[in-house]
Amino acid sequence: MNQMRKNGDLGSESFGACLLLSLPEDVIAVIARFVSPRDICNLSLCCKSLCEVFDSERIWLVQCEVVKVLSLSEMIQWRIGISSYKAFCRFLGEVMKPLVGVWVHQNPELGNVVYVMPGFLSVVGCRIIPQEVGPLGIEEARVMWSPVFEIICGFDGSAKFFLHGRDGKLHCCLHPGFVMGIEKSCNVLLLEVETRREKELCSEIETVLLGETGVQLPFRKLPFSYRRNLLHIVTSTVGIPVPDLSSERLFPTSKDDEAVLSEHRTMLLKMHKFGGDWNHMNLEDECINIPNQVDINESWKHLGFEVDNRNMDAGNQTQRKTFSRYFRSGIKHILGRSSSLKNTSSSRSDTRPWNLQKFLNFGDSIGLSLKASNIKLSSYQGWPNMDETRYALYKLPIKNPIANEEYAGLWGGTFGWPPGKCTEDKPGKALFLLMLSYEESQDGTERLLIGTKILEGTHYAMHPNGSAMFVIKIDSPSFELFPFDTNGEDFEHSYAGEGTAKGYGFRYPGYKPGTLFVTSKGLLMFVWKATKVVLTLQRLDLGELLRKGVCVSPLPPCLNFAYLTKSHTNVFAPERRRS
Amino acid sequence: MSSSKKSSDGKSSEIEEAVASLTMPFNKILLTSSDGESFEIDEAVARKFQIIAHMIEDDCAGKAIPIDNVTGDILSKIIEYAKKHVVEPDEDEDEEAKKKLDSWDAKFVEKLDLETIFKIILAANYLNFEGLLGFASQTVADYIKDKTPEEVREIFNIENDFTPEEEEAIRKENAWTFNG
Repeated sequence: MNQMRKNGDLGSESFGACLLLSLPEDVIAVIARFVSPRDICNLSLCCKSLCEVFDSERIWLVQCEVVKVLSLSEMIQWRIGISSYKAFCRFLGEVMKPLVGVWVHQNPELGNVVYVMPGFLSVVGCRIIPQEVGPLGIEEARVMWSPVFEIICGFDGSAKFFLHGRDGKLHCCLHPGFVMGIEKSCNVLLLEVETRREKELCSEIETVLLGETGVQLPFRKLPFSYRRNLLHIVTSTVGIPVPDLSSERLFPTSKDDEAVLSEHRTMLLKMHKFGGDWNHMNLEDECINIPNQVDINESWKHLGFEVDNRNMDAGNQTQRKTFSRYFRSGIKHILGRSSSLKNTSSSRSDTRPWNLQKFLNFGDSIGLSLKASNIKLSSYQGWPNMDETRYALYKLPIKNPIANEEYAGLWGGTFGWPPGKCTEDKPGKALFLLMLSYEESQDGTERLLIGTKILEGTHYAMHPNGSAMFVIKIDSPSFELFPFDTNGEDFEHSYAGEGTAKGYGFRYPGYKPGTLFVTSKGLLMFVWKATKVVLTLQRLDLGELLRKGVCVSPLPPCLNFAYLTKSHTNVFAPERRRS
Repeated sequence: MSSSKKSSDGKSSEIEEAVASLTMPFNKILLTSSDGESFEIDEAVARKFQIIAHMIEDDCAGKAIPIDNVTGDILSKIIEYAKKHVVEPDEDEDEEAKKKLDSWDAKFVEKLDLETIFKIILAANYLNFEGLLGFASQTVADYIKDKTPEEVREIFNIENDFTPEEEEAIRKENAWTFNG
């Protein structure tokens, strides 16, 4: 070795060979735990020997473990469906970890909770339906849920997106699309339409005419009606019926699910590769046509283009007609090679058709896509302030309990004491889901524990989704006694606070005094002082609940992702309310 | 004190052990390095080395244990670390003590060169001293973290045996690791 040695790096000639290579494999695995995937890549680039040591299955498995979204046994089980632990690590870190969690939307007011969790070589989003639980309580309840979306991991580690939704004939369908980018600290999940280009441009004129010289208008900058209509057109075109939803498995529910899960996965992989014809193909076959998209020129050449009215949310019929007329005239312009086409000077985003052209000009087909972004969001008492004109889901910042924030997290419960006891005329109790979080009071003098309502199983919402059901002065213990028979529970603490009551109309609930009681088994009870009404809460594991639950059919696709109309009733399952 | 020699006659080694246990203080263990250096430590400290803890459990640890794979200089450093870490402070309960210990740890490695750290890692692995193995591994990881391949090659004195094409191919395949 002729290189100059830095002081303190290497002491003797005998360590000319790399120190790192002298370490046994399990020690390398320990070191690998403390570095990032990028460091592994840089180590692999140093020399061939290091590349062999660090760019290995063993080390990438360690990196997968470091991500901490799956257990080791699950990872080993899933390994057969992916080409390498490296590809797996990418899916875990880039897709699974940022998305896993509780996502919500403001509408409907009864609550819109989508739990995103690991499936089988996938990540799945499942909506918990507002519902009642029977006398056996939450533990034994078979909670109703419906599928919202799935992102499966292909053999090469690539992510494939599927939106669930029912079509006009009430068949459950899957709508394949692409994943357009997931930011690691994302807090908003967006359903979008994106343009794709297959054919190569053959001349400069075509480039100019198609507006390639400008920057594409992003989907989110289009006015709401255009976004809604584009989404409806794409979903109604690319929807593929699922043979039988009740026999489908999106996530493991028991030990011997693997065959059904694999079948479901193969079906999805075929759908993504071949589109509607998937059933006649094998995965290894070549794909001739590019599936799962809407050709821009073809769809609008014919006047008879139909959009299924029943799939659209309560919207404007006249608006739809106006949109088609604008679109057709726009396309006619392109087809007629008019020289006045290049109209990109104005940058105002109003409801002129030129901005739709500017969006569509960038490709010759459109398809469905999912995007996860980090957007600056304000929040009130833990609940994010949402833009209700976006087909979006918002991440709920649920925290794990820590040393002096022991009640933080997701809780579920019902009204009444003792819990689970039902009366004859009311055999079910509305299931409530709450997020408990800690905040500083307005004047900064004390800490508050806030119980934010995110789901309720009543028939009609009396208070807004995301409002606080109770606010507790968590650093001020109270001396109130539980007003009823303790039912064998050992009461440990109680704190003073206030609970929601009638206020100035729907948007602004009032608050009346109440007390929070904590039992030794970790149950929480909030009792309104005047009415003696009791809300009993216990910690919930949504994953466990869903695994024991029952799947019900989803809404039409765009509504299934985000329900944008204001409603106080149970829009997700009006005819079924009890589990 | 010189290390006791194992004799082929089982009876006389028993006698030797009995003599050793009479002449040494109660609950002390004697470790001898590969180059003959001896260290007398409390049993509690010796138990940090799982390999010795198992010997004590199985009752086959005499009061004197030879450590054939580790030289005296390295063994002394390991014992120094083990003595400081006999009782690990709970982060939640005693934040002050944890901070002090972390600061001691930082000073401990600061004085060591890379070659010594590697020798410590190998010794800690042999002795099955999990705490030190983790700590020393993290120290090595800190040398690697966020460094370019050129920088890593320089630190560890590695020669680049890739062709530019091979390097480019690896970079392309791992391009995703450079996102975010």
